[in-house]
Amino acid sequence: MSAKYTILKGIDIAGLNFLSPVVRLATGEEPAKQMKEIGRLIVIPTLAFLAFFWLWAVVAPKHRTKSGEVPTPSVVWDARAGIWRFHNYETAKQDGFLLQGKERETELARATARIAEVGMLEKIARQQLTAAREASTVKFDTTVAPAKNAYDTLREISRESRKGRTAALKAEAATLNTATEEARLAFLQKLRDTQARTEIDKLELAKLKDRYEEAQEITFPEVKDATRANTVLAEEKQFLVKYIDMLGKDSRELKLAAAKTKLKETRTSFLTATEGDLYRLGSGIIKNEKFIKTTASSKYAKPWTLPKQIVRSLLCVFAGFLLASAIAIPIGILCGLSATFMAAMTPFIALFKPVSPLVWLPIIMIIIGGFMPDPENNAFLMFFDKVPFIKNYKIDPMFLSSAVTVALCSLWATLVNTALGVGAVDKDHMNVARVLRLGFWSRLFKIVIPTALPLIFAGLRISLGVGWMVLVAAEILSTSEGIGKFVNDMYTNGSSESFAQMFVVVFIVGIIGMLLDRIMVVFQRLVSFDSAVPAG
Amino acid sequence: MATTERPTTNHLKNMKSQSNHSRLSLLSAIFTAPALLWLAAGSAHAEKLAVEKDSLKLGFIKLTDCAPLVIAKEKGFFEDEGLQVEVIAQSNWKVLLDNVITGNLDGAHMLSGQPIAATIGIGTEAHIVTPYTLDLNGNAITVSNSIWEQMQQNEPDLDSDTPPHPISAAALKPIAEDLLADGEKLQMGMVFPVSTHNYEIRYWLAASGIHPGFYSKTDVAGRTDAEVELSVTPPPQMPATLEAGTISGYCVGEPWNQQAVTKGIGVPVVTNYEIWKNSPEKVFGVTRKWADENPNTIIAVTKALIRSGKWLDETDAAGKLVNREEACRILSQPNYVGADFEVIKNSMTGTFVFQKTDVLDMPDFNVFFKHDCSYPWYSDGVWFLTQMRRWGQITEAKPASWYAETVKKIYLPEVYRKAAASLISEGYMTEDELPKTDDSYKVTTADFIDGNAYDGHKPIEYINSFEIGIKDDAALSGE
Repeated sequence: MSAKYTILKGIDIAGLNFLSPVVRLATGEEPAKQMKEIGRLIVIPTLAFLAFFWLWAVVAPKHRTKSGEVPTPSVVWDARAGIWRFHNYETAKQDGFLLQGKERETELARATARIAEVGMLEKIARQQLTAAREASTVKFDTTVAPAKNAYDTLREISRESRKGRTAALKAEAATLNTATEEARLAFLQKLRDTQARTEIDKLELAKLKDRYEEAQEITFPEVKDATRANTVLAEEKQFLVKYIDMLGKDSRELKLAAAKTKLKETRTSFLTATEGDLYRLGSGIIKNEKFIKTTASSKYAKPWTLPKQIVRSLLCVFAGFLLASAIAIPIGILCGLSATFMAAMTPFIALFKPVSPLVWLPIIMIIIGGFMPDPENNAFLMFFDKVPFIKNYKIDPMFLSSAVTVALCSLWATLVNTALGVGAVDKDHMNVARVLRLGFWSRLFKIVIPTALPLIFAGLRISLGVGWMVLVAAEILSTSEGIGKFVNDMYTNGSSESFAQMFVVVFIVGIIGMLLDRIMVVFQRLVSFDSAVPAG
Repeated sequence: MATTERPTTNHLKNMKSQSNHSRLSLLSAIFTAPALLWLAAGSAHAEKLAVEKDSLKLGFIKLTDCAPLVIAKEKGFFEDEGLQVEVIAQSNWKVLLDNVITGNLDGAHMLSGQPIAATIGIGTEAHIVTPYTLDLNGNAITVSNSIWEQMQQNEPDLDSDTPPHPISAAALKPIAEDLLADGEKLQMGMVFPVSTHNYEIRYWLAASGIHPGFYSKTDVAGRTDAEVELSVTPPPQMPATLEAGTISGYCVGEPWNQQAVTKGIGVPVVTNYEIWKNSPEKVFGVTRKWADENPNTIIAVTKALIRSGKWLDETDAAGKLVNREEACRILSQPNYVGADFEVIKNSMTGTFVFQKTDVLDMPDFNVFFKHDCSYPWYSDGVWFLTQMRRWGQITEAKPASWYAETVKKIYLPEVYRKAAASLISEGYMTEDELPKTDDSYKVTTADFIDGNAYDGHKPIEYINSFEIGIKDDAALSGE
């Protein structure tokens, strides 16, 4: 029985309350009530989510802009696969470059065999694409031709009749030199009428043109699918060509081997040569030695892929969050302890709290840039290059600027909540402390902070949420590698996939934000005294 | 379609699992490995430059003319020089230039005007140099559908599925005048104040008598006396801005004109190939300091870029560009240009789509090596300087000698020559592919839309030859 309560307590602390009826049902506790709870906490949300997907899938294809179509769930799912494929290709290249000996040769053989296959498949896919294209052209012509013909004919007719009318009027005008005023006025009226007539013609023509253009907008999902299938294969082939290079002639092993052979040759000729430029040969040896040294430690310059960008974004948000906490908690405590200090801080809080990250970032970039005129040789940044794990994520001024922006935007919630929590410490507790003659520090750590902790954590939870929201914006603006940079890149790519890729990011950002929030909930519950398991 | 696609994927999986352990692959390994070893040994015999810095970060903007940088990386030309290069997309020209100046980037794909403007202090001031011109042409001017319709009404010849080219701005003039009469100005976009696009759209407008406005010390937006107002919009946002109606037309590089056609939001009317045949477009720029500190590295990078340019312009016996399709495939990767393969292909493979019905053969729309393209010509630099003066970005009159001296500080033909010499000795380049020139000035050309002849040795006369534009004292020509 106690195991059950431990589980229930764990579920409660983790804030996963929807699981508790399942546990209770499993232990046979009030099945009817639990079923009802399951219906409310699990079935209903699932249904709502499914309804959302259904609505999305139905509505999305109906909404078309010229910049693209709103992707359906399945297109978004495909885009996710595309992002993942790109990541895998790049990782494979990175690993392939470092492979050695037998392993490299088997991998090379595998890739060579695969490229032949892909070549064949691509041929088939291309044939299908051509067929689909031809079919679509026929269909296009048959549907568009009537509209086009109608437009062309009317255009020709109206142009001819306009020409005829203009010619007639001009001829009449030529005779007017001797005519009476009345005749002249009548001519003016005629001119006016003719022009009105031309306007009407134009309107009709415009209508037909719209119809023609509408007809042209017909899309061909078959061609799109065939193109996509073709693209996937062509991309794989492109990857394999480069991959084979990385495993073959460009592999570190072969490059090193070649350089070593060369070094040996130069060495022998340097040592044995009786005539010739020994200076040149000697410096050739040194050059070769250097080359071998740099090659031995060289790596494939892998572009950033989304998984790595996500980790860097997380690092950035935590850096900002820690900085925010380090500033906000002490100041918040001081504010809570001293009404005077609070009064001094109020204008700053009121003034800076509403400032948008988009305003902070350029300012901070300039300030940080000023501290780091030569980022390549900056001691502070070079320190991070030695820290394991973090060194893979290239801490640069842009990263720091984004982190500081996150801190500046997110620290207010923690600050205000800490001040509130500290201010709410029971007067009796403070009196007892005074009676016991506790010093300032023991009063702080034994009474004030423990009492204020639940509120401090509530503040931290809000801060982390705000920070995560701010981060993407900061990364877009600073082009610091991360999720924001990914979104910006996809937006500027403007390919048919871009829209869908951004939707993928929406889900990724949402899921990560949710997880961060859950983690903070756990902490918050752990420090709260009122987190007893509900009776029953 | 779904039914035909499914078997393909299954088929693919089956083949994959079979091949993993087949004897065939072992056999092929036995045959290919020695061949590859031999290849590697062959290339290693060439004299390696002792590069000062072996891992570089190069920036680029998502435009198809970043191709030489991307190809040099993907085809391993950088690696052949002992360089490990990261090619990093930048969000706009300002950020890119700042990153080069602060040292976040070693070098970058730059607008031809950028090194010049930075060196003489228009905008951000820094001494930038260039040993290599990345490409010729590649830009176009696109107008919105409604402007195109009005142009067709003004000029009935244009109202056809295949209108005659080149299209001048004459049909645009009445539209601009009508708007002016209403107290408004036609709004058009270009990508950067010192971009080739700015000078090209100005040239095109002014050639038909439309005043695009002067820059001055106080008017840094360049709108004094303007009949058409030009504003800066980053290339990727051009189509969206056009669609939103904020601007009625723009001048930009590919793929953003083809994108407008594909999405049906605008009509390209003229390419810069028609405005100035074989006009220099982008350069590879580094800071003077970087070039001084890394004399061998800059040669190594130039070597890789030359090979890249040659690869891009390689043709078969029939004159067809053989590598462009592969290049488009590479460029369409999301970390490079990232636009759809089809869109990039439209402009890179020798044709240009003005409208769906109007596709023109333009084999020279993107030139990366032929026509002595990649050589850093002093005369190209002088042309940009004359345009900067013509429109008032250079606020003071300068003597002809100043033009010649300034470009000598920026363009580095000697680096190009060293790189070429090294490639010739390695057999990657032939002697006759190196331009024959004594002073690195191109010969006088009149291949402009208005037929006005340009001689790089006579900048003052050239500036004064335009109807619209600032005029300088003829005495400054120093003759």
